[in-house]
Amino acid sequence: MEKLPQIGLPARILGLVIAILLAGLGAGFGFAQGMAVQVVILSAIATLALTVWAWRYVIGQFVETETIVADGPSPLRLAWLQYRWPLIGLALVLAAFLLLSLTIPRFFNIWNVLSLIILLAILVLTRTLGRQFQQNRSAFIGIMVLAGLFSVGSMNIEGFASGNNIKSMLLFASFLGIASIGQTLVALLGGLDLSIPFIIGGANVGLLYLIGLGVPPWLATIIVLLIGTIFGVINGLLSYRLQGQALIVTLGTGFAISGGVQIVTSIGSAYSGNVFGTVPPWLANISAMNGTTFGLPFPPVILVWALIALILIVGLRTTVYGRYLYALGVNRTSASRVMISEMRYWVIMYALSGFFAALTGGLLLGWSGGGFIGVGDQYLFLTLAAVVVGGTSLLGGAGGYGFTVIGVLVLQVLSSFLVGIGLDFKWQQFIFGLLILPMVALYARSPHIRTQI
Amino acid sequence: MSLPVMPRETSGSEPVAAKVAEQGGRSNPFLLMPITLFFALLSIAVLRTPSLMTASGIGAAIIVVTPLILATYTLMASTIAGRGTVDLSVGPLIGFINVTMIQLHAAGALENPIPVFLYCMAVGAAYQFIFALIVIYVRVQPIIVSLSGYLALSGINLVILPRPGGVAPPFMAEWGYGTSIFSPVLIILVLATVAWLLFTATAFYTHLRLMGSDERAAYTSGVPITIVRIGAHLISGCFAGLASICFTALISSGDPSQGTTYTLIAVTALVLGGASLAGGRGGVFGSALGALNLYMITFVLSSFNFGSVQSFVTNLAYGAILVISLLLTLLIPVIQRHIRNFSPLLYFVSLGVVVFGIALHATFDYTSLGEAPAYMPGPMDIQAALTKPLEIATLTPETLALRAEAMPFVFFTILLAVLAVFLRLAFAQASRRSLGPAVAVVVTALVLGGAWVMHEGGIAPATEVVR
Repeated sequence: MEKLPQIGLPARILGLVIAILLAGLGAGFGFAQGMAVQVVILSAIATLALTVWAWRYVIGQFVETETIVADGPSPLRLAWLQYRWPLIGLALVLAAFLLLSLTIPRFFNIWNVLSLIILLAILVLTRTLGRQFQQNRSAFIGIMVLAGLFSVGSMNIEGFASGNNIKSMLLFASFLGIASIGQTLVALLGGLDLSIPFIIGGANVGLLYLIGLGVPPWLATIIVLLIGTIFGVINGLLSYRLQGQALIVTLGTGFAISGGVQIVTSIGSAYSGNVFGTVPPWLANISAMNGTTFGLPFPPVILVWALIALILIVGLRTTVYGRYLYALGVNRTSASRVMISEMRYWVIMYALSGFFAALTGGLLLGWSGGGFIGVGDQYLFLTLAAVVVGGTSLLGGAGGYGFTVIGVLVLQVLSSFLVGIGLDFKWQQFIFGLLILPMVALYARSPHIRTQI
Repeated sequence: MSLPVMPRETSGSEPVAAKVAEQGGRSNPFLLMPITLFFALLSIAVLRTPSLMTASGIGAAIIVVTPLILATYTLMASTIAGRGTVDLSVGPLIGFINVTMIQLHAAGALENPIPVFLYCMAVGAAYQFIFALIVIYVRVQPIIVSLSGYLALSGINLVILPRPGGVAPPFMAEWGYGTSIFSPVLIILVLATVAWLLFTATAFYTHLRLMGSDERAAYTSGVPITIVRIGAHLISGCFAGLASICFTALISSGDPSQGTTYTLIAVTALVLGGASLAGGRGGVFGSALGALNLYMITFVLSSFNFGSVQSFVTNLAYGAILVISLLLTLLIPVIQRHIRNFSPLLYFVSLGVVVFGIALHATFDYTSLGEAPAYMPGPMDIQAALTKPLEIATLTPETLALRAEAMPFVFFTILLAVLAVFLRLAFAQASRRSLGPAVAVVVTALVLGGAWVMHEGGIAPATEVVR
């Protein structure tokens, strides 16, 4: 991380004043709406801290941006030349909005206008501030999109910002987030793991099958996690041997795992592919919507995800293992010259991927209460999408789990938003597809071929 | 006999120079695996279910496998272009053309074959054109573009046609029966294959392979990479259009949700066929074999009755065979050290003759030979034991007639083998690779001719009864 730029004392005081004002405003609104005192105080403190941090970080970027006006065409023309495309884009967005408000009755209301303003503000901020963030541009864009989506959603949709909805969003985000851990780690090496959904499905069915056989649930969980890890190790060995074929190797092992698990579970069972059993209450509590964590009303899986995320983010940044991982992803030849065992990292990362996929499968069993082999199917491309939207390069070496967390949250909030405005799964998928491309294009364009020679 | 020793790749690490010198993939050792697998599966299939070798058995197989083969061609054409272009959106694209065609037909448009063909190929080509433009100018990794296309198209497919249904254009109605070998679907497949083989004779194809192997080398040597990439995607789009026509003929209706299956199977088939996902290597022969292999795996497994776990066993076998065949490609450098001049064509033909014998054995109508002499356990007569096998075939008139009928067939097989050997030699001596497509065309014509003989009743009596 680069050194934070210094800003002057007056600017700091101004920032502090603005932050206090914002926090006070939030607290006032909170009390006016009759929310719990703890919640109001917490959010006020969060607002304060975030504003102070953002102020320091953002304003600092402008300290040395004194531009020298060059001789040449008139300033107006210069501005036009410089901001041609943004201006055209702006005009297009405005025209689209005008068209929509003219054609659809009741479209032109205060909330939609506000949404438009927020959208434009995000675009402008992304344009202007985005270039200041060389390192974490995708994270910045992701956070902007997240903030925009959330504010637009809470304005337009009844109950979008309610505690329950946020809880459910976080719940589903933690499933996707835990499933994406492996994908992120493997992508950092330059590989892919498409066996994740199949391991999720296999673990889901297998765990219930073992419980149904009479194995104690804690032992069954350990067995399933262990088997998932072993599959991961196999994936790692195969992908390492067959360099560049990771996509197809993991797909193959995935097919085999899903088929094998189903054969095992349906031997001696009259209902092929369906497994029956009772999920133990503690497992149901972990990932159920109405679960409690140490008496607090949110499912423990969110806490689990947060902890794993924290460990991974810090671990990837600071530990030697994390740095070696990046080294391998950036340049494997030079990494192996400095005695980093390539094979070891491939195997470990794929093993972790298998472990977390199996964990997701177990958690999903707690959520749904019944085993189903296809439970992971939607994660086939969704984990990939989360990694890519977050900004981890699939070529390896760039990104990290923090980015993936942002990607997961963006996908989750977006899908919740789309559900809220009444679009069902197929439309969601369509819009996901259309959004991934521009989001990736904002930060992950490869250089032109002529610059690579 | 001294054949000119061609420079060929040794380690696979620096394939470009060797590949260019090799010209046209004349001896592609990566085809070893799919060919072997194909004939192994074919002989098991024939032994398990001899009815595969009837006109309707082959016809049904062709109807089912053609969309898959064409989907694999779709992938192949863009994968050769390099940059890791694995078009995950191929399944939803086929589905998209399928559902829009069905809906347009329901709305009264697209009645005749020509508009339907034009429409399908135009939509496929248009999609791939946009794909290529994004890859070239936005410069995002192709796999992300294809992921994006996958999600968007599979979403919009469900919007256009919420559940399977609708009616295919009437002229397709009879295509999907699969009762005869020479269905229009086969003609589409053959034309598509021949078109690609002819395309491989052009300089454009050489440019394409060069770009796929090493884009920087291609750029610095003056290949117009933008145009080449767009061209590859356009071809791929046309294949997608054809694939969706055959798919529509197969199911005679619209189905919006086949996307995932087709994508996964086509990618698997492509790799099984010996293509490189990194680009620069791949062809119709391998792709078709890969797709056929996948079909054969399902077919063979369905002949064993696993009851309720059937589909699981199929999944397991898919995965295992895929991984094993990938692992076996690691052996190819070792094999290459010993076999200097591997010819896929000759290998194919020689294995083909063997499997043909197996097929004849499996489908031969032994009961029509007359009463078999009852086996009498008793003291063994050495004389009889030696001569008896020779005496079984007492030449009844039926046998003679059968022999006469089988004559063109046997003749044809021998002809095929001789021709293949001859062509192979001629091919090795000539340094002009433009012979390649011609050889393929001739061999295809011969195979078709053989199938025609079979169809017209060459050995029909033998097979009818078995069925």
